[in-house]
Amino acid sequence: MVLELHVWGPAFTLPSIETQCLATIAYFSLAVPKDAWVLVASSDPSVSPTCELPALRNGSTWVSRFRNIVDYLRQYSNGAWDLDGGLSGLQRADNIAFSSFVESRAQTLVDLSLYVTSQNYYNQTSPAYGSILQWPNQWILPPKIHAAAKARTHHLGLSSLDLQAIEEQRQREHSAAVAAGQIPSNFIRRPRDTVTSLLGKSSQQNQFRLDAVTEELFEPLEEILGDKVYLLTGESDGPSSLDCLAVGYLSLALVPDLSFPWLRDAMKSKAPRVTAYTERMRQRCYGLGADVSHAYSASPNSGSSLPWRAPERARLATLRTTLFNAFADNTPILKDIRAQDRLRVAAESPDSGLSEHDGQTLSTFAKSQKKDILVNIAYAVGGVAALIGYMAYEGFFTSETGDEAKDDDFENDEMNPTLDIDSDSFQAENILSGF
Amino acid sequence: MAPEARENSGQTPDNVSISRARDYFAVPAPIKRIFDRFPLVTYPPNDLPQHGASNRTSNQLFVFTDAAGARRGKPSFNPQCLKWQAYLKFVGIEFDTLPSNNHASPSGALPFLLPARPVSNNTPIPFTKLQKWAIEQPHCEEEQHSNLRFEVYASLLDHRIRNAWLYTLYLDNENFTSVARRLYVDPSTTNSLVRVTLAAQLQQAARDELLKSSEYIDVSALEAEADDAFEALSTLLGNNEHFFERSTPGLFDASVFAYTHLILDKGMGWKRNRLAELLQKHENLVQHRERLLKYF
Repeated sequence: MVLELHVWGPAFTLPSIETQCLATIAYFSLAVPKDAWVLVASSDPSVSPTCELPALRNGSTWVSRFRNIVDYLRQYSNGAWDLDGGLSGLQRADNIAFSSFVESRAQTLVDLSLYVTSQNYYNQTSPAYGSILQWPNQWILPPKIHAAAKARTHHLGLSSLDLQAIEEQRQREHSAAVAAGQIPSNFIRRPRDTVTSLLGKSSQQNQFRLDAVTEELFEPLEEILGDKVYLLTGESDGPSSLDCLAVGYLSLALVPDLSFPWLRDAMKSKAPRVTAYTERMRQRCYGLGADVSHAYSASPNSGSSLPWRAPERARLATLRTTLFNAFADNTPILKDIRAQDRLRVAAESPDSGLSEHDGQTLSTFAKSQKKDILVNIAYAVGGVAALIGYMAYEGFFTSETGDEAKDDDFENDEMNPTLDIDSDSFQAENILSGF
Repeated sequence: MAPEARENSGQTPDNVSISRARDYFAVPAPIKRIFDRFPLVTYPPNDLPQHGASNRTSNQLFVFTDAAGARRGKPSFNPQCLKWQAYLKFVGIEFDTLPSNNHASPSGALPFLLPARPVSNNTPIPFTKLQKWAIEQPHCEEEQHSNLRFEVYASLLDHRIRNAWLYTLYLDNENFTSVARRLYVDPSTTNSLVRVTLAAQLQQAARDELLKSSEYIDVSALEAEADDAFEALSTLLGNNEHFFERSTPGLFDASVFAYTHLILDKGMGWKRNRLAELLQKHENLVQHRERLLKYF
């Protein structure tokens, strides 16, 4: 059985646009023999029942997330495909701690650089998603990912990298000033900021903050790497899973050619050894550069060092479900009902990890929630109907006005056609006279 | 002729329906009279809370705690508060604890400290600046963060263990009712409607926090990550008394203690505590917690 690794598709000459996918690809290319796995750039989380990428498929088993996939590979191969087997006590502890460190810190920086920095998002990241996603996902998924990245980095308070947030802020201030009645709305000067002036301002204001955040990540990495070949181990011991995570996250900081390359600049100046290490590991894991065409028209001698296999093109059925899901999840009341349904299904499924009792409570909870929503809808409809009925009973809509309106309609109907014809003929005359 | 006639005939019913609609939406006279009386009473503005500032002779640390616990200086039940409470104890700064909540804090989060000696206009110190303030105090030696592992292992606490904690405390329903509701929700109000809302908000906040980094909440993954994190911390501690081979406990010890104490504390009333099972596998972390508990 060949293992299938489903990932987000390639971008920026890297085999994937997402950090965890890159890390998992690196792990596979270092640990698993090349004929035992294939790489599928499906770029659609709904292929896996867990709704997450990267996802590993082995027959009917699906495993998602880097950590779970690594654990699964170790069990599946009886310890043969395990990069962390030979680590000593402190190395093992370091492996765990640095993994958590890289996952939390580097993810924030990559989010800031690729998604929150508006110029980079609109000029590079968004088009990159456009080229790997199929219709209609290219309209549905990128805004979701963009919003998630903004939420993850919200606590850093670097929103002035985000032009959209600045615009919203300014509108709030504008309307607040109008509401306060201090200035007539016409007199409020709205400075027209060009992208360059904003860029200049934001980079000055944020320079200190960004400096601190990047330093927090790169300094410990530079120090632990030292003169070794790998982050934790020397040449003879081979890489560990931390190296895979590091190359996954750091190559997305180093490689993309962005409009506002503050992250790459910081990395090059603060961590020259880590930069060289990332470049070296990247070429070893991902080859010399992945192109979007490698992933979608995979042939054995396409020049890529990764075992690409072309993803299935979307069938009509999956397209329909995607469209329906996107539509339903954005409709206010339907959204709640669907969320409760999902909760119930999850609770009732045998492998939800809940005890029987918990599952039952959860599913009854979900059912009752759904009932609540339906009852609410019924109340609302009933209330409106009662109001209209009452108004009719009170004689708010009088029959005379109804008749009057009807008469008006008739007369208008009679009048209008002649008018229309008139204006049409006028137009025709005008056109003719024009010739 | 025809349009004029229509206008005349249409005049009366039109006006009637408009005035009828106006009647319909106009405020009835008795209700209007009631509203005209408002505001019934205008109270003078509250005085600033002076009593705390005037006779304050010691530093006051505002944390999540109950009145009895505050009097005896017992550990707070909030990890973030306990971390700073423990740190100030470890570095030998005298202070009183006072029960408080997030709304009272100038930064919107507890803990914060009102220093005894007015540093600059008596400003409260939020927890982000507490360490800097503590180092400026007399008899407090500066802690060296030269160890590269400090920040790295701190990320284990700030993410892996915190996420598992969030799940155990807020999203595990039995624990939420018996622990979080009792500690955070019930003391803040007696109104049952507000309690329900507050509880729902707390749970939703925890859920949002966990869903920031993943598509769905995978309980077994959270527990496995916490297990790994405890193992790494246990290895880092080794046979030493304190982390990073210090002779006295420092900030990192306080951060670890904040979680290990609350996880192992019998007084919290956990209904289901998987984290304690995972933690008890590491004898040195349990002993570390017991050693530090003597400071309280």
